Amino acid sequence: MAVLTETLIARRRRPVARAVEGQELALILVLAAMWVLLSLSTDTFLSSDNLSNLLYSVAPVALIGVGMTAVIVTGGIDVSVGSSAAVVMVVVAKAIRDSGLALLPALGLGLVIGLALGLVNGVLVAYGGIHPIIVTFGTLNLYRFLALRLFENKQVTGVPDTFDVLGGGKDGETLGIPNAWLLTMVLAALMWCYMRYWATGRHWYALGNDAAAARLAGIRVKRRVIAAYALTGIFVGLAGCVLIGSGGLVQQNAGSGLELRVIAAVVIGGTSILGGRGSVLGTLLGALLVGTVTSAITLLGWRSELIELFIGVFILIAVGVDLVRERRRRRAR
Amino acid sequence: MTTPTRITPPAPGDAARQEPGRQGPVRRAVGLVLAERVPLLAVLLVAVVGYFYVLGQQGYLVAPYDSDYLFAALDTLVPLCLLAFAELVVIVSGRGGIDLSVGSIVSLSGMAFGFMVGLWHWPVLIALVVTVAVGAVLGAVNGLLVAYLGFPALIATLATYYAFGALALLSHNNAPISTKPIQDVHSLTRTVSLPLGDQVPDVPLQVLTFLIPVAVLMWLLANRTAYGRRLYAIGTNDIAARFANIAVRRTRFLAYVLSGLLSGLAAVVTVAQFASARPDAGSVGNGMALPAITIAVLGGVAIIGGVGRVVGVILAGLLVVWLNAGILLAFEGSDGSQFQLFALGALLVLSALLNAYSLRRGRGAG
Repeated sequence: MAVLTETLIARRRRPVARAVEGQELALILVLAAMWVLLSLSTDTFLSSDNLSNLLYSVAPVALIGVGMTAVIVTGGIDVSVGSSAAVVMVVVAKAIRDSGLALLPALGLGLVIGLALGLVNGVLVAYGGIHPIIVTFGTLNLYRFLALRLFENKQVTGVPDTFDVLGGGKDGETLGIPNAWLLTMVLAALMWCYMRYWATGRHWYALGNDAAAARLAGIRVKRRVIAAYALTGIFVGLAGCVLIGSGGLVQQNAGSGLELRVIAAVVIGGTSILGGRGSVLGTLLGALLVGTVTSAITLLGWRSELIELFIGVFILIAVGVDLVRERRRRRAR
Repeated sequence: MTTPTRITPPAPGDAARQEPGRQGPVRRAVGLVLAERVPLLAVLLVAVVGYFYVLGQQGYLVAPYDSDYLFAALDTLVPLCLLAFAELVVIVSGRGGIDLSVGSIVSLSGMAFGFMVGLWHWPVLIALVVTVAVGAVLGAVNGLLVAYLGFPALIATLATYYAFGALALLSHNNAPISTKPIQDVHSLTRTVSLPLGDQVPDVPLQVLTFLIPVAVLMWLLANRTAYGRRLYAIGTNDIAARFANIAVRRTRFLAYVLSGLLSGLAAVVTVAQFASARPDAGSVGNGMALPAITIAVLGGVAIIGGVGRVVGVILAGLLVVWLNAGILLAFEGSDGSQFQLFALGALLVLSALLNAYSLRRGRGAG
């Protein structure tokens, strides 16, 4: 068991203020306001079907976002997640269709593939001396190539319902809540605790703030960096399995554009793209906000292009508010 | 990147111990290729073209890989290279500079061009100028966010990527504009024969009207103007630049404006090539920003800012375009386009690794 550290946590603050930071509180309020407004203005928003759909569609973005939060906290970024999700999806879908793999082995296969792809990113970033965005732009192309080769020019059809437990149908629900979302919540909670209270979790923040200082303080920087990317890979593997659960079909453009949606969720959640600051809770809320906007615009019958406009505006507002607070914080010192 | 190789002058007593071959011309050349991006790209370019030429001669390719084909492939280079210049300027400006929104600016200003020419029947030349201005205004939004309001560039341009892309789709109800006047603009992309004799193959007109003038202007801007030197100065160290009395914010702001302006120009080329103003022009597939950033980085633009040469970007663009053209001939069906992804990714990672390696070795020796 890792050692619990308290040194990096400001103990003077009250427990409530410690658990939920300002940005997260604001996000919760915005979300609550939107949900109230939507349930008043449409009859369908609060229906269990719609909420279940909403939560299921948010789950993959939130899952990858949990890993991406760690990567961005270290001062890195991973834009290859969409392509690696495609690799996971095609391999796992073919495995359960052609060799009849059961749920757990298939899940394991997905996680291992995700881990392997994440490890490649991590090793290149840590040992190659290349900027993370360059590495992952490169592997974005390489993984997409790999996925397209594995597709062999046709989409994977007739995928059996092995992953229905994690899927968006009725089989994938417990008490009306999608299992995928429950899993996301549990993993996010674990990750939240890990990044706040475990020494190795705190190391991500330390090296995101100043890698050189972190190294001098005895943190194994390279190992921690690799861990962040590898972990993101595992979450991508899981998200890939959740996405397969949505139906018996995996298309060749699977996962394309996913990376930007994940980064948007992380950033709206208050994680600083410069590294050293951020939390998994914020990412979860950010993903929910994006999902709610998507659902709202569909339900209100507005033009679907407005979704992207709103995502853009939300990113600007979230980061803008954070910039103002940061400036005030610095002035207060 | 001023000193190609860092060979320390030998101390008086050391001369006898030195191996005779180590300082020879071959070693110097290898060192140069490893440490400097432009010679490396030139060697790679010759190797790629030579390799595919030999393959073509031996009949392994679907069609001959000759000079006609190479010149015809140049029309894909034009929008790509314009956007790579845009990324060059922005990345060189430093502080994590990057522009993810170029594809959306291409879509949106392309739609503006479509409205002006296709629906309002404006003269093409006026519409072109206004389109470039629209691009510059959209770039100014990025510049305002990044330079004056302090947004990280990655975030600001991610947001505007979404916002501009959505506006482009909304502008004409998600439908392309391809009326007669727009289709006539396609003549901008015809090929012309140069008055240099029959040996020289036909050249796409857009290379002469768009790419070469912009490349020359970019080179002059980067190397022969005060603004260019200021840009490299703020990219290298913006605190030092401020002490040198450089208007850091305005310089960085203008870099994003220039990026938008170049994207507007690329939009006109794209509309002319498609013979249609498409609202999703800049976002189909992986979008336009990714290949543009890849070419810029492959061309030796350091992602940390302050380093990058116009010549490198052009060579990288040529390398990617001609490599892609060769790959397309070497495979049947859609396999070729898949291997293009592989080549792009592998080139990017390997060249970055090589750069990091030679930098580290250079530091160790010096």
